[in-house]
Amino acid sequence: MALEYIFNLDGTDHGVSIAARNPELVLTVDGVAHQVRESSALNDECALLTVDGRSYQVWRTWESNRIHLRIGNRSFSIGYEDAITAAQHHAGGDDTLRADMPGVVVGINAKVGASVVTGDVLIVIESMKMQINIVAPRDGTVEAVYVDINQTFDKGAQLISLHAES
Amino acid sequence: MFDSILIANRGEIACRVIRTARNLGLRAIAVYHHEDRHAPHVALADVAVELTADVPTAGYLDISQLLDIAQAQGAQCIHPGYGFLSENARFAEAVEKAGLAFVGPQSEVIRLMGDKIHSREFAVRAGVPVSPSVTQDGDLEVFVEQAAKIGFPLLIKAAAGGGGKGMSIVRSIDELAARARTAMGEAERYFADGRVYAERYIERPRHIEVQVMGDGQGKVVHLYERECSVQRRFQKIIEESPAPDLAADLRDRICTAAVELAASANYRNAGTVEFILAPDGEFYFLEMNTRLQVEHPVTEMVCGVDLVEAQLRVAAGLGLPWTQEQIRQRGHAIECRICCEEPEHDFRPATGVAQLLRVPEGEGVRFDGGIRQGQAITAAFDSMIGKLVCYGANRAAAIDGIVRALDEFVLLGVSNNIDYLGAVLRHPVFRAGHLHTGFVVEHAADLVAPALDETDRAALLIAAALGVRDFRRLVYDTPEPYASIGAWRN
Amino acid sequence: MPRIQSTIQTGSAEFRRYYAHNRGLARELHEKQRAARFDRPQKDIERLANHGKMMPRERIEKLLDPGTPFLELSTLCANMAYDGEAPSASVVTGIGMVQGREVIINANDSSIKGGAWYPLTVKKIVRVLDMAIENHLPVIHLCDSAGGFLPLQSELFPDKYMAGRMFRNQSILSKMNVKQLALVFGHCTAGGAYIPALSDYSVIVRGTGAVFLAGPPLVKAATGEIVTADELGGCDLHTQVSGTCDYPASTEEEAIAIGREIVAQWEQTPKWNLQRDAVEPPYYDPDELYGIIPDDIKRSFEMREVIARIVDGSQFHEYQPAYGTTLVCGYANIWGFKVGILANNGVLFNDSALKGAHFIELCNQNNTPIVFLQNITGYMVGREYEARGISKDGAKMIMAQVGSHVPKFTVMCHGSFGAGNYGMCGRAYDSRMLFSWPNHNIGIMGGEQAAKTLSEVKLRQLERRGEKVEQSELDRVYRETLEAYQHQMSAYYATSELWDDGIVDPIDTRNALGMSISAALNAPLGAQGYGIFRF
Repeated sequence: MALEYIFNLDGTDHGVSIAARNPELVLTVDGVAHQVRESSALNDECALLTVDGRSYQVWRTWESNRIHLRIGNRSFSIGYEDAITAAQHHAGGDDTLRADMPGVVVGINAKVGASVVTGDVLIVIESMKMQINIVAPRDGTVEAVYVDINQTFDKGAQLISLHAES
Repeated sequence: MFDSILIANRGEIACRVIRTARNLGLRAIAVYHHEDRHAPHVALADVAVELTADVPTAGYLDISQLLDIAQAQGAQCIHPGYGFLSENARFAEAVEKAGLAFVGPQSEVIRLMGDKIHSREFAVRAGVPVSPSVTQDGDLEVFVEQAAKIGFPLLIKAAAGGGGKGMSIVRSIDELAARARTAMGEAERYFADGRVYAERYIERPRHIEVQVMGDGQGKVVHLYERECSVQRRFQKIIEESPAPDLAADLRDRICTAAVELAASANYRNAGTVEFILAPDGEFYFLEMNTRLQVEHPVTEMVCGVDLVEAQLRVAAGLGLPWTQEQIRQRGHAIECRICCEEPEHDFRPATGVAQLLRVPEGEGVRFDGGIRQGQAITAAFDSMIGKLVCYGANRAAAIDGIVRALDEFVLLGVSNNIDYLGAVLRHPVFRAGHLHTGFVVEHAADLVAPALDETDRAALLIAAALGVRDFRRLVYDTPEPYASIGAWRN
Repeated sequence: MPRIQSTIQTGSAEFRRYYAHNRGLARELHEKQRAARFDRPQKDIERLANHGKMMPRERIEKLLDPGTPFLELSTLCANMAYDGEAPSASVVTGIGMVQGREVIINANDSSIKGGAWYPLTVKKIVRVLDMAIENHLPVIHLCDSAGGFLPLQSELFPDKYMAGRMFRNQSILSKMNVKQLALVFGHCTAGGAYIPALSDYSVIVRGTGAVFLAGPPLVKAATGEIVTADELGGCDLHTQVSGTCDYPASTEEEAIAIGREIVAQWEQTPKWNLQRDAVEPPYYDPDELYGIIPDDIKRSFEMREVIARIVDGSQFHEYQPAYGTTLVCGYANIWGFKVGILANNGVLFNDSALKGAHFIELCNQNNTPIVFLQNITGYMVGREYEARGISKDGAKMIMAQVGSHVPKFTVMCHGSFGAGNYGMCGRAYDSRMLFSWPNHNIGIMGGEQAAKTLSEVKLRQLERRGEKVEQSELDRVYRETLEAYQHQMSAYYATSELWDDGIVDPIDTRNALGMSISAALNAPLGAQGYGIFRF
């Protein structure tokens, strides 16, 4: 099946894709084809949209992950995630955190089995006279802590791992 | 008349006051908190001075800072708007002590009307109907006996209470004692004050209020009534004037009572006397607001007056601009409050950026607004960002006009109640004028946005997709012959 | 431009017979393609699914811009090799669009013997990388391969155009600033490790993706080290430690999403500015091609009827309409692109060869790409024609054609026999793209001619040795030669051996050419100039 862009309306995901562009634009919503015509925008924010013969005036703004629209005299806010973020949300992220440079462990906050959220400081290392926080790259559960306090390690050493997520 | 004015407020009401002040040739001095630095009232004023405060609202409540700015800028008077310091007697005193005029009533009147118990007693003395009540502060048996005399149903409330705690509706004498005991227990637990009182419970009441204007020299006129029955979470959202289907003699009696109350207080300034109107035609004094009301524009439109101008004239000692006979109510006006909130989630306040703002226009349409496109709506201030008002020759025309204007209203980037207001105004029972303060709860099921049919939902999602740059590029910037060959596979 | 006036009678018995025959061939083609693409043992499909892996064509569907075409190349490569064990030679190649950019896709199919490379796999990948070099097309490698198929190593490893050529081509592409992206979905073992390593960008899927010169079994055999595939060359090792891969991804979907975003960063290099007019579909229905192509390789047909069902508006500006009439030459548009067309309407005589050579020169003068529509039994033979210089006239056509600096495209519409194949830009002549129709036959001569020739040779041989000539022996030579020729002359044999870039359904010719021409415009035109024409 072709690539779909995912939009969230009231908590439900819907996939929108392109079936044809010429001679007529055909877009699919959840696999159902719709004939679409968009008049040249009346101005920057307003367009006239025709879907399956029904016409709508559309006012629209876009911020990074939401589209706000006024269509058919009703306002809506629709969630959108770029494809990478959406794919990451459907799966886990990094599993093992490694040292970018050699150093020594000066603090350990993570406990095996503990749940962590993105941005939690898991370990503090010191390297080249700098203290560096090793933070959780995603939400998850700590699977293993490979180092002890005051332990030195080499570049690339495993520091901590999170449980893989399905 | 003054030649300069400081407006101790923000948002739409600050803009509203600044406009009249400038009409009259006054130099308008605005104040603002850093968070409001892009707000329109800052740009609209002749001068804008920043208030310093950690909490944004605290700035607008800082009496000494406001007075310092007023004096430094040479303001001759201060208009408090509504909310913030508008009904703060200490502020009124401080302003006058500083040698400036306060565009509002005398401080003692503010104090009197600000006290629920004293104002009710004052109303009784002035001969204004007050709903019968009795307070339990000792013997339960005496309380039950006295309460029963008021008649059922009764509402028992905690004297110190709020939020429905210790509140109970009693429909017969059999349950009165038990309910009173329960209420007392709850009151004790929640407020450490076991006192409760009982008052007549009015079912399906209407909220009717009267706009009055006094010169502080004994002269008071009224500018007829407003119907403010459509409320959500005890706050008005739709107001209109005149009140639909109000018998002429009842209107007269209500307006007269309001004037008598204000006159008894030797009232100065614009004020509003609020009443509860029972289905049986009885009405009872609720409270008096000693300031310009949010919903004053409906009165301005049907009476053809500028209430802010009248306030300034009275404050400047120039007297009332009109006699009672000169005031005529003509046509019909409806206002709805545009709030950033989520009607589908019990009207919880919403924040965001007003990314797109297109205000409706057209005959009879007035928008008193206080935000600009691109402005952030934060939790720091009230969720109301403006009022849409529409005038029509009659009620039906006003409803048609405001429904059309709401359809035209574009506010994107932050959740708001524009569509919800449209649903209320389109409701046949609203149109028929059968209003009471429980209207939105009674008709809640009808006011939920209807589910979209398949085509409309598809159109919405397609419109959204075409609003995303990446998707749009895929649709429109695919080069030929790929775009025309389409999803061909060999 | 005048529209070709078709004289086809769609109601005639002949048309209906041809139509039924060719529709049948097209159906057979599509069924063979479907089977090659999707028929796999259930256990292999389940094994992939259990690893969270998609089939290669699913990956491609998710990678391409939705609603855009994909020109899959040589789907039936290896269909007559290795007992049919390696459908599509276990690799999917093609041209498609990602983020508005034309790209070549090279996708291993690990549902077939773990995506192992057979000799024809290597030949197919080398061909598609040659295509990338010729057309300056970026390449996206979807890597998932166990490496070379060891039992056949001598046929895929050592020679010039074998496995090493893939990495040589990758390096040349990079040197040419033609971008490459590798999405590592599965293993890249041994030589396969160089595909991501030589790509400009690479993404690797955690858990399933792995890159190593030797897999765990070979490592154990070599050094005794026991190590898992993930430890040896998995996502975290290569994205955090070795730097062999650039972007980690948790799933195939994420890898594809990252890949699409990488492509979106690539500069869009301007294409060669070929004249392009508004597009008009052919006036005559391409479906009628089925009723035009004969059901017998020996029967001739009017090539203008074919042109009318491929070009825009069926409009054709014919060059020298009255001269050398067995070769139809002229200008037309395909998907708006101006092209010159050379199409066979019979055997090539001296005049038709000279006309062809001249028209090729005109197209080069005009910077117009050339499309060859082959249905050729060869140049005319016999004393009279040799005396008129048919060999040197044929040589002029080859000289002009090879010297062309404009891109060339070839479609095998029916027969392609003998030297006609050369003059009309056969496989050896660097067509940017060469497609066959399912009815196509190819050989140094026709099967019957070959059988006759060889039984004649046998007869003389026997006579020279003074042996007795048995008619049954001559019949056996004739029959065996004919059978062998017929087997090796078929379009399926040709495509199995990668003598073309795929068989296309005749009605898809217009789309296939449109995409091929569009792809060719990515490479700048070369310098003009020819060798010596023998006059």
